[in-house]
Amino acid sequence: MIDDLEELVKAAVGEVFSTMLAQQIEPEPPNSPVVNGDATIAGSVGFIGNLTGIVYLYLPQGFAVRLTEKLLGISPQSVESEELVNDSVGELTNMVVGHLKSRLSDRGRSCVMTIPSIVRGTNFCIEPVSSTIRRLLTFRSHEHQVVVEILMRPDTSS
Amino acid sequence: MGRKILTVDDSKTIRMIVARAFKKYDLEILEAQNGVEGLAVATREKPDLIILDYTMPIMDGFEMLTKLKSDPELKPIPVIMLTAEAGRENVMKIAKQGVRDYLIKPFKEELIIERVARVIDLKPRGESVSKVRRYDDALDILVVDDKPAIVEQIAGGLKETNWKVEGSSTTSQAIERCARKVPDIVLISLSLPENGAFTLFQMLRAGARTKIIPVFGLSVKTAAEDQARATQVGFTGIVTKPIDFEDVKIKITRALGLDTSFKYFSHKDGLLHLKLPAAFTPSVSNDIVTNLRNQLTEAVESGFDKMLIDMSAVNNADITLIKLGLSSLQLCNELGLKAALIGSPAVTKECRNYEETKDWRFVATAEEALTLMQSGTAVAA
Repeated sequence: MIDDLEELVKAAVGEVFSTMLAQQIEPEPPNSPVVNGDATIAGSVGFIGNLTGIVYLYLPQGFAVRLTEKLLGISPQSVESEELVNDSVGELTNMVVGHLKSRLSDRGRSCVMTIPSIVRGTNFCIEPVSSTIRRLLTFRSHEHQVVVEILMRPDTSS
Repeated sequence: MGRKILTVDDSKTIRMIVARAFKKYDLEILEAQNGVEGLAVATREKPDLIILDYTMPIMDGFEMLTKLKSDPELKPIPVIMLTAEAGRENVMKIAKQGVRDYLIKPFKEELIIERVARVIDLKPRGESVSKVRRYDDALDILVVDDKPAIVEQIAGGLKETNWKVEGSSTTSQAIERCARKVPDIVLISLSLPENGAFTLFQMLRAGARTKIIPVFGLSVKTAAEDQARATQVGFTGIVTKPIDFEDVKIKITRALGLDTSFKYFSHKDGLLHLKLPAAFTPSVSNDIVTNLRNQLTEAVESGFDKMLIDMSAVNNADITLIKLGLSSLQLCNELGLKAALIGSPAVTKECRNYEETKDWRFVATAEEALTLMQSGTAVAA
């Protein structure tokens, strides 16, 4: 297993938010409670190869719209469709996973990324099969909580 | 519209970010959502640059790049990969396919602009319609020669212009100078030691700010091999020693597309006035012909209906002069301008001897020409 997986994810999220959004984001203390109940958009990107798994990036819906405005430099009125928000969240997730994948690739753990997909909903949770390794990291960007969930198949290569 | 950039990415977000980054430049941004669409747009539009994503549905960036590089027509189009996957293995794989550069997501807008500017010339929107530079504008000419006498000679030969000549004796000095201030023209001695001229030329062409500067090679007439090599690698032209400064002025004028029309055309007493200089050479004639149609059309559009062709300073009616006179009169006829000719005694006399010009009627002064045109008398039969 990757010992510093959580640190790699934190670095990836920080890099994507600061570079693409000029937005501060800080990791919350371990085991911070996950706020649930709000309308949420989840972007997901999988990776297959020496390491196999999937990463979810959960964003409150209103925050996702504001990030889309910021990412594209457009006014709130211009975010005319859910599709544009979905695409932006998908791309942010893609960048986080790409950053993570690159670090893993440099350690000889090569894998291929999947195309991003989006899930919208309220009060939903992912229930992995018992053999899957699960890591849940929470972040805070201003008043919003951002959650990253990593599901990985146990490493059998070493 | 200037150049075209094709951005191939399945994410509308990335395509919008790229389009926004280049909004202030005179560029047409084309878009495609995957490799198949990308190849179709590239084939149809022949963009100047492709910004290509790696992971895409239908056809990914790697496959598109492979197909692009195997097509003789599309192969020369430079490609910058824009990918979220930056591992060493991936970068090596991309590099082997001959991409010009690669950018890792996340990326800052400034970074993508900088990388693109290394490949194509980015002109701010609106600049392309700005005023054309004139022959009498100030120009900055850098002469790279290890013989100071040559630099002095060139400065002296161009002293009647507003062009400032500065010398660098080594390639490193020249590079420093270009980094500090980009010159308008560079003249490099092809005999610089250690292949210096060609090394410097490659460095200038690799620089985002210097890659479009016209560069001339300076060489003795007999150094044919150096001249051929310079031409082959892409020098704008060759200036041979001993230097003919009229030739240098013409070469620089052409390389920079300088407007020279004011040297010959003016508006005077309600007339469009074309004044031929005493040193009327084939080059001068070419210069006038280049501007002729535009000048006459603009004059007609501005309400002028008369033109005076003044050959009074010219002392020889050779074939170049006759051709210019004939094409000017023909164009006046096409555009409905009345024309009159002023000739020196020698030109007036010689023109009577040629079939094409024997009917030209010359007058001595502009006043006389005006009276003639107002009376409706034809200038030439």
